[in-house]
Amino acid sequence: MTEVTREGLEPLSTIGNSTNRIDAVERVTGEAKFTRDWKLPGMLYGRVLRSPYPHARIVSIDTREAARLPGVQAIITSEDAKVVWGAGSVNGGRQYNDPTKEATLHRRYIFNNPVRFVGDSVAAVAATDRHIAEEALSLIEVEYEELPFVLEPEEALEDGAPQIWPEGNLCPDFGGNIDPMISDVGDVDAGFNESDQIFEERYETGFIHNAQMEPRCSLASWEGEKLTLYTPSQGISNCRHDTARDLGLEDHQVRVISKYMGGGFGNKNQNQDADLVAATLSRRSGAPVMLEFSRREDWLGVHGRWPTVQYYKVGVKDDGTVTAMQMRAYSGMGPYRKNSGGISGMDAYACPNRYREINPVYTNRTTSGNFRAPSEPHGFYGVESMMDEVAYKLGMDPVEFTLKNMRRPTEDRPFTNYSLDEVIETGARQFNWQARRRVTPGSDEGPIKRGAGFSFMMFRSGLGTSSAIVRVNADEEYTLFVGVTDIGPGAKTTMGMIAAEALGVPLSQVEVVSGDTDRCPYSVGESGSRTTIMTGYAVVQAAENLKQQIISRGMPAGRDVLIGSATPTPSTDGKTRQCFGAHFVEVEVDSRVGSTRILKYTTVHESGRIINPTTARDQIRGATIQGIGQALHENLLYDDATGQPLTPGYYRARHLTHLDIPDIEVHFIEVDDGYGPFGAKTAGEAGIILAPAAVANAIANATGKRMTSLPITRDKILGAMA
Amino acid sequence: MRDKRKQGRNSGAIPEQDSDVKYFNPESQSRRDFLEGTGATVVAGAAATVLGIPAASAQQTGSIAARTAITLVVNGARHSVEVEDRWTLAELLRDRLDLTGTKIGCNRSECGACTVLMNDQPVYSCSQLAVWADGASIQTVEGLARNGQLSPVQEAFVENNGPQCGFCTPGQLMTATALLNSNPSPNSVEVREAMVGNLCRCSNYNAIVEAVVAAGEGENQGGVV
Repeated sequence: MTEVTREGLEPLSTIGNSTNRIDAVERVTGEAKFTRDWKLPGMLYGRVLRSPYPHARIVSIDTREAARLPGVQAIITSEDAKVVWGAGSVNGGRQYNDPTKEATLHRRYIFNNPVRFVGDSVAAVAATDRHIAEEALSLIEVEYEELPFVLEPEEALEDGAPQIWPEGNLCPDFGGNIDPMISDVGDVDAGFNESDQIFEERYETGFIHNAQMEPRCSLASWEGEKLTLYTPSQGISNCRHDTARDLGLEDHQVRVISKYMGGGFGNKNQNQDADLVAATLSRRSGAPVMLEFSRREDWLGVHGRWPTVQYYKVGVKDDGTVTAMQMRAYSGMGPYRKNSGGISGMDAYACPNRYREINPVYTNRTTSGNFRAPSEPHGFYGVESMMDEVAYKLGMDPVEFTLKNMRRPTEDRPFTNYSLDEVIETGARQFNWQARRRVTPGSDEGPIKRGAGFSFMMFRSGLGTSSAIVRVNADEEYTLFVGVTDIGPGAKTTMGMIAAEALGVPLSQVEVVSGDTDRCPYSVGESGSRTTIMTGYAVVQAAENLKQQIISRGMPAGRDVLIGSATPTPSTDGKTRQCFGAHFVEVEVDSRVGSTRILKYTTVHESGRIINPTTARDQIRGATIQGIGQALHENLLYDDATGQPLTPGYYRARHLTHLDIPDIEVHFIEVDDGYGPFGAKTAGEAGIILAPAAVANAIANATGKRMTSLPITRDKILGAMA
Repeated sequence: MRDKRKQGRNSGAIPEQDSDVKYFNPESQSRRDFLEGTGATVVAGAAATVLGIPAASAQQTGSIAARTAITLVVNGARHSVEVEDRWTLAELLRDRLDLTGTKIGCNRSECGACTVLMNDQPVYSCSQLAVWADGASIQTVEGLARNGQLSPVQEAFVENNGPQCGFCTPGQLMTATALLNSNPSPNSVEVREAMVGNLCRCSNYNAIVEAVVAAGEGENQGGVV
C-alpha cells in the first residue's frame, strides 16, 4: 500500500506523477552497460593479493616466479607502488579534503606494510586472462612476521593492547588531535539531579557490510597523460578529483565514466583503491586493465557500517519529562579511519542537558565507513530502545512519551517546516497502534508472542552546491547535462522530471546525459541523499537561466542552440531543514525457536514534495528492508583466537530474501517548505534509520525482554527467554 | 542431465552463428603458439576441426588450461566453442559470447544475479562449468525480447519499477520467466518461493513480486496476496 497526502499543495504537471524510469528498458534487456561489461582492445585483467593475517609486518615479497608466468604483464607491491589512497585513510568526517590528506598522521596506501586486517591489500597483478592473474597471485611469495592483534574497540583502548599505530588506537580527528568526539549541551549533572529516576543500559551493534550486488571493479586506460576510468561510482566528480590528487594529476587529466552501477549504499563514494590500483597496473603494463574484486574481497577489502558499543544514562521525571541524557560510546573503525564513527539519535530529543562522548577506535577488523545514513540506524536503535524501555518502566505509551520529549523548533533554532507530530499521529492511526501494542510487554500467553514497536526520526535535509547545464535546439529538443550516476534510486529520471517541470515541457522532450565527467558538469554525488535536493535545485536554476534567454532572444533557429547553466549555492536562511519519519511494526516471536516474523510494517515519511512517487516509495521500502536485516541477521563475526572473519558473504550474513519480506506500507505526507527543488527533501537514507529501532522495540513488546545487542538473532532471543 | 544434452543436440534446424574468431588447428599448431598468437585470450571456434577433442588430450602446462570443444544453443543460435575446462558458463556467456547482460554478483551460488535458463530450468551460471553446457539450450536476458518486443515480465518490470540499480534484474527476470512458463498466474506467495534464490540488496523485493504477479495471467494479475 502506498499513499501520498498532499493537502493544500498545488499539483504540478510532471512532478508528483508516478513515472517509469527513462532507462528502464536498458535495465530489463541486459543492454545496460555496467563496468565489468566494458571491453577495450588489448585489455588485461587485474587481481589483488590480500593479507591472510589480521596484523603482520611484511618481511619480503618475491614476485619473480609470478612474473615468469606466461601472460603476466605487470606486478605491483607496496615496495614499488607507494600510492596514497586519500579517500581511504584520512581521519574524520573531512577525509576527502586535500589539506586533510596532507596533514593526516595515519596514511593509507593502496598497499600497506604492515598489513592491519585480514584482506588488507599486499600486491596486484595484471595478466592477459583472469585465471592467469589468479594463478600469478598464488605464485607471489610473501614472508610475514605476525604481530599481536585486537578486535574489540573497548579492549583496544586498554593498557597493553596491541598498538595498531604508533600514536595508539584512539583515532585522531581531521586536525590530528587525539581526543574523543564530545558534544556537551546544557548541564547534564544538573539534569540528573533534577530527575526522579535514572536508567542505564549498554547497547551493542554489529558490522553491516554494504553488500551491493556489483562487486568492486575498475577499468583503467591511459592515452598519453590522460586517464580514463570506467568505475562503479556514487560520485563521478569527486572520484575524478580524488583520483587526480592521489596520482599527482590535474582534474582534467582524468575522465570518470559510470553509466550504470550495481548499488553502493555509501561504499562507492569518491575514489576507491580499485581505481588507483587499476590505473597503476595500466600505466605499468601499457594496456587497459580491468581490475576485479571477488565477492569475498569486496566484503573484506572495502568497508561497512561501524560496529558500536553505547552506554546510556537517562534521567527522567515521574511525569515522563526527560531531564538528562548521557552516552559514552565506542565505534570500531578498523585500522584506517574512513569516516567519523558517529552515533546519532540523541539530538532528536528536546532534553536540554545532553552529554555525548564517542571514541572512534582502531581495531584489526576490516575498515568501517559509510553505509546508508552512516551514523544513524545504530544510534537510533540504541537511544530509542533506551527511551522505549524508560517509557514502559514509567507505565507510559512510547508514542505519548515521544510526543512529550521529541525535539521541536525553538525561537533560536527555527525549522523550515515541522511535521513530526502529524507524521507520528498518522502512523499510529493507520497502523492501529493502540490495538496492536501490548500495554504490558510480553503478556501474551503461550510460546508464540506478538507485540508492536515504534520509532521516529528527523534527518538532515540541508542544501548545497551542485551544477547543471540544459541546452535547447531549434526542434525544441532539450538536453540536460548532469554529473549524476543512477545508483538505483532513479536519479536520471528524477533530474529529467525536474527539468521538464521547470521548463514547462513534457519529459519526453528532455534527454538526460549523465555519468561521464568529460560530458557533464560537477555534481555533488549520490551520497547523503543529496542528488535530488542539490543537483535537482541546480537543474531548476539552469532551466530558469535558459527560459530567461528564450524570453529575451526567442527560441533558437536553424543550427543555433541556447544553453542555460547554473551552479547555485542555496541556503535555508539559517533555518534547520529536516525530513521526518515514523515506523510502526508488529512482530510475532516464537519463543521456542527464537524466530521473529514481521506481521505488519507501516511507514510514514515527510520528505517534502515527492518528485516521483514510484521510485520514492521504493527508496523507503528498500531501505526499510535493509534496516530489518540489520535488526535481525547481519553482522560480520570474527574468530577471537585467529582474527579471521567468519561470516563474509550473503549466505553467512543471512541477508533477507524474497521469502522474508513483509509488505512495507508507505505513506508520504507532502509539504513544500519553499526550499529545494519544488520543496523536495531527502528520502534515500530515511527508511533505514528507523527500522532497527522499530523492530527491536516490537520484539521487546512481544517478549517482555529488552534485546540490547544487534542483530537480534535466534540465539539471543532464546537466551533472553530461557 | 545427459538426456537434456541430447535434447539440445537434436533440437533441429538452428542457425550456425558466424563468430569473428581465430581458429585453432591442432594438427599444425601447438596450443601455446595459438594462445600467444591471440594474446592468450580469445578461444572460441566454430570450425569442425576442433569438435570432438577429448578434454584429456589437451595439454595442461603452466597457465595453459585444458580445453574442450562444446556445442550449445544460446538464445536460439548454435555456437561451437572451445572452452577452457575451468571456465564457468557465466564466463563463457559474458567474456566469449559477449552476452554481458548476465551478471556475476558472488561467483559462488549465493546471490542469483547470474541466473540463466538451461534447458528451461533456472541455474546459477557462475556455478555451472561451461563444459557442462555441452549440448544444452541456454536462454539469457538478451533472449527474452523478441523482435524488439519486451516479454510480458520485462514489460511488467518496466511498469512496476522492478529494477533499482538493475544488477540483479537479469537474474530475477530469468527465474521469473521459468516460473511463469510453468505457472502462468502465480500469486505473490508462489513468486516469493520461486524467487528465493535471487537476492536484491536494493531490497526492491516488494516491487519485484508485484511485477511478476502483474506479468501473470488470470485472477492474480495486478494484485498481490
